[in-house]
Amino acid sequence: MKKSFTFALAFLSIIFFDYKGLNAKDLSEKNIPIQEQGRIKPLDTYARNQALAFYGKRKIKHEEISAIDWMIDLFIHPEKGLEQKIFNIRSPDIVNALDLEWTNNFHKYSYSEIFPGIQNQLPLISNIFDKKEEDRDLFENQLVELYQNIMKYRQIASSLSCLLPMFTVYDPETAEKLHIEPGQFTSYAHIMSHRGSLFNVSQNILTKSEESWTENEREVALLLYNLQQTSLDEFAQALKIIPPAKDDTTGLWISPWELLDGREIEPHQDRIMKSMEAYLVARYDNNSGAMSDALKSYRTGLLSSPGDRVKFSILEKETWLNKANLFTLSLVFYLFGFILLGISWMVQPILLKNVAYGSLISGFMLHTYGIYLRMVIMSRPPISTLYETVIFVGFVIVLLSVVIEYLRKDGLGVFIGSVSGSMLHYVGFGYAADGDTLEMLVAVLNSNFWLATHVTTIILGYGTSLMAGLIGHLYLIEKIRVPNNSKRLKSIYDNMFGVTLIALFFTLFGTILGGIWADQSWGRFWGWDPKENGALLIVLWQLMMVHMRLSGLAKADRFALGMVLNNIVVIMAWFGVNLLSIGLHSYGFASGIAVNIVLFTVFELVTGFGTYYWARSKGKNIKASF
Amino acid sequence: MKREIIKILSSPKLFVYCLVWLMVLVVVGTVSQRDIGLFASQQRYFSSYIFLFGPIPLPGGRIVLALMLTNLITMLFKQNLWKMKKIGVLIVHLGGIMLLVGAGLTAIFSSEGSMVIEEGSRSNTVDDYHATELAIINISEQGYDEYTVFDQPLFVNGNNLRHENLDFDITILEYMDNSTLENRIADSDIQYRGMLKNFSLKEIPRDKDDMKNRPGIIFQVSGSFTDSDGIYGLIFGQSIPAKLNIDEKRYIMSLQKKKTYLPFAIELLDFKKVMHPGTQVAKSYSSRINLIENNVPRSVLIEMNKPLRHKGYTFYQASFIEGLDNEATVLAAVHNYGRLFPYISSIIMSIGLLLHILTNLPSLLKKNKK
Repeated sequence: MKKSFTFALAFLSIIFFDYKGLNAKDLSEKNIPIQEQGRIKPLDTYARNQALAFYGKRKIKHEEISAIDWMIDLFIHPEKGLEQKIFNIRSPDIVNALDLEWTNNFHKYSYSEIFPGIQNQLPLISNIFDKKEEDRDLFENQLVELYQNIMKYRQIASSLSCLLPMFTVYDPETAEKLHIEPGQFTSYAHIMSHRGSLFNVSQNILTKSEESWTENEREVALLLYNLQQTSLDEFAQALKIIPPAKDDTTGLWISPWELLDGREIEPHQDRIMKSMEAYLVARYDNNSGAMSDALKSYRTGLLSSPGDRVKFSILEKETWLNKANLFTLSLVFYLFGFILLGISWMVQPILLKNVAYGSLISGFMLHTYGIYLRMVIMSRPPISTLYETVIFVGFVIVLLSVVIEYLRKDGLGVFIGSVSGSMLHYVGFGYAADGDTLEMLVAVLNSNFWLATHVTTIILGYGTSLMAGLIGHLYLIEKIRVPNNSKRLKSIYDNMFGVTLIALFFTLFGTILGGIWADQSWGRFWGWDPKENGALLIVLWQLMMVHMRLSGLAKADRFALGMVLNNIVVIMAWFGVNLLSIGLHSYGFASGIAVNIVLFTVFELVTGFGTYYWARSKGKNIKASF
Repeated sequence: MKREIIKILSSPKLFVYCLVWLMVLVVVGTVSQRDIGLFASQQRYFSSYIFLFGPIPLPGGRIVLALMLTNLITMLFKQNLWKMKKIGVLIVHLGGIMLLVGAGLTAIFSSEGSMVIEEGSRSNTVDDYHATELAIINISEQGYDEYTVFDQPLFVNGNNLRHENLDFDITILEYMDNSTLENRIADSDIQYRGMLKNFSLKEIPRDKDDMKNRPGIIFQVSGSFTDSDGIYGLIFGQSIPAKLNIDEKRYIMSLQKKKTYLPFAIELLDFKKVMHPGTQVAKSYSSRINLIENNVPRSVLIEMNKPLRHKGYTFYQASFIEGLDNEATVLAAVHNYGRLFPYISSIIMSIGLLLHILTNLPSLLKKNKK
C-alpha cells in the first residue's frame, strides 16, 4: 500500500515540475484584469472563451497559437485579423446561406469572407430576432449566433485601435504642440489628449479655402481626417479593462474607447492607457524589455486605482488553472489507472495494481486541487452550477473509492474510482464547452452559507448514491462470475449497504437542509417543486431499500438491483427535473441532455435486470447464507 | 386482536408500501405540474386525502403521510427496539415522527400571502395567494367605512348570505375560478345591474399559474325592495369599483384576495436591486422598511435570504414591481406554527443516523469480517 502513495508522489512531482513560477511578482499580459459577465477575470480567460465561441477551441489550433497571443495580435493588427480564418461554421446550411464554399475537413472562415453574406441576410436575421427564442429552429439559432459572433469579433478587433501608433506629423512646430518628435508615430488617444493645441490651426482650415492652405495646414487637415476615420471605431467597447473613476458607484469598468468620449480621465486611468499603449508598441517591435516595463507600469496604474483592489494573486491562480488543465490531467490519470488495473489482471498483479492505485490517487489530488482553486478564485463554496455538481460528484465517488480500496486492497476501489471518475470528467467537459464555467449567481443562490451546507450535502448524497449503485452492479457481476464465493459476495454486499447508509444520511440531511433554506428565503419549508420532489424521491427510494432489507422483502440480490435502479432516480433528480423547465430551481438549463438521460436509463434497466436474472439463475443451486 | 393490529400497523412492510405509493404520487404530481401547474397539482395529489383517478378513488398525500406517521408511532411499542444497540435507529425514527407531526401542523394551520407596498406608502394587510372573499363596504358614514366580508367557502351556488350589517340578502348564482368579461351582444336581462348590463361574465379554463386566474362571481341582491335589487357580477381586479345604493346607504362591492389584518403596519422606505456589474443578473434585492407598531416606527432591512420575523409572522423579499418613477416591493408573509419542527427533527434524525452509521460502518466497509 505504501508503494501506491510513492507512485502517486512520483507522478505528481513530474506534473508540477513544469508549473513553477506561480508567484511571479511581475504582471503578465495574461493576467491583465478585465470585467466581463459580472466579474473581474484575467485577459487569458477572456481570450480563451472568445476563442471557444468563435473557433470552437480554447486556442487557435491550425495556427498553433494560444488564445492570448491570438487576441493581442488581433489588437495590434486588426486589419490582418479580418482575414484570419477564425470562424468555425459547423453547418453546411449556414455556409450555403452565406454563399460560401463548404469544405469537408476544414470549415473555418474569415470575417471578410463571412461579412458580405451576413449583410445579404440581414432581413432574414432581423426576422429571426423578432421571434421568441423557443420558436427558433437550429438553422436560425446558428445564424443568429454567427451574426453575434461576427459583430463581437469586429468590436474586439477594434477595441484598442485608439492606442495604436498610427499618426504622425513632420512639421516640428505641430509636433511640439502634440508632444512628439517630428515623424514619430503616436496614437489616437495621445493626440486627443492634446487636441486643444490644434484648435487654432483647425479653425484656419475651416475658414480658408483648400487652395490657400499652407503645407502645415494641409498636414493637419490630413491628420484630422485620419483621426475622424479612426474615431469610427468608437463602438468597440467590449474590452472593459479600465477600473472606474473615483466617484463611481456602479462598479462598472470601462473600455478605452469609452474613456475617450470626452469625460475627465483620472490619473490611474491615464496611466493604464499609456502603459497599454507602450506595451502594444513594444510588442509590435518585439522588444521584451520594454514589454515588461510597460506591464510593470500597468500594474502600478491598477494598484493606484480607487475602489476595490485588484487581486493579482487570484488572477494569477486563474491563469495558472487555465494553463494547467487539472481536470484533463486528472482524467488522464484515471484512465491510466484503469488500463493498468486491467493489465494487472493478466500480468504482474501486485505491482501493477499498486501503480494503478497510485495513479488513481494522483488523479484525485489534481481533481481536488482544481476544485480548491476554483473555490479560491470565486471565493465561494465548491458547488453552485450544474457543471460544478458534475465535477464534485466525480470527486466524491473517487474519494470513496480511494477509501474502499485502502480498506479492501483488492482492486475494487480502483476499478470503480477510475471508471466513474473518467466518465464524470468526460460529462463535465461537455458542460465546459459552453464557455466560462466560473459564472456569477442569481440573487437567491448568492449565499455562501447555504451553498456550502445544503448544496454540498445534497451533491455528496448524489455521489455516494451513485457509488452504492456502482457497487450494486459489481455485486451482480461477481455473483455471476463467482456464485460460490459467498465470503467475497458478502463483503461486497456489506460495502454496498454501508455506502447506502452514508448516501441516505447525505440525501436525507441535504434535502431537509434544502427545506430549511427554502423556509429561510421563500417562506415555505416544502413546496412540492420538481427539484425538491427529485431529491425527496432519492430519499424515499433509499428508505424503501433499507426497509425492504429489514422486512425481508429484499435479500442481497434484490438489494443490489434496487441500488442499481437508484442510479436512475439520482440522474432523474439531478438532470431530469431541469427538463421539465418549471419550478424555482431550474437554473441548470440543458437541452441536448434528454437523449443522454434516456440512454442512461435504458442502459441501467437492461444491465440491472439482465445481470439480476442471470445471477439468480446461476445461484439457484447455491443456498444463500445471508 | 389488539396485538395483531399493532403488528400490522407497525410492520416495516407497511412502511415500504406507503413509500412506494408516495413515490408514485411524487412522480405523478411532479410530471403533471407541466400540464396543470404547481398549485393544482399540489392540491390534487399532495394536499388531498383522496383523489379520483377516473372513477377510482385513490389515497392522496395526506392519507399516506398519516399512515406512515401511525406506522412510526406504533413501531415505538415494539419491545426489541428499546435496546442500547439500536439507539441510533430509535433516534432516527423519533426524528421522523417529529418531522411528520410538523408537516401536519403546517398543512393545517399555516397561512401565507403577499403584501405589495409602494415606496413611501404603508400597508397592514396580507393578501392570500389563492383564497378570495366578497367584501361589501358601507361608505355612507363620515369618518369610517364598515366592512362586511364573506369567505370563499360560502360561494356555493344557491347559498344565501345574510348579515346584520346589510339591509339586503345575497344569493350566490355562480362562482368561477377563472373568468373573463365579454361585451353583451343581445339585449340585457332586465334584472342585470351594474357591470352586467353591458358585459357578461364567462368562465374560462384555469391557468396553470394560479396567480393568473381571475375569479369571478355572479349573485343576486334581494330584499332591499328598491330598484337596486337585481343580479350583479364581480371579477377579481376590476378597475371600476362596483357600487350599490340602497336608500341613503352607499356600498362598494369587491371580489378580492382574502385579506388578513396585521396588528402592525409596514411602510416601504426604499427598494433596492443590485445587479452583477455589466450583466442582467441580479445580485441582490432588498427593502428598507419601517415596522410601525403603536405609531412607533422601527427601521428594518429585509433582504433575499434574510427575512423579518415579528409576532409569529415572517416577511420575505419575494419579488418587486418596477413602475415609471416608483418601485414597489412584494413581500411574502407567512404565519406558520410548525416552523420549528423541521429544524429540530433534522438535527435529531442526523444525530441518530450518524450514531447508527458510526456503530455499523467499520464492519460494513472491511473486506472480510472475522
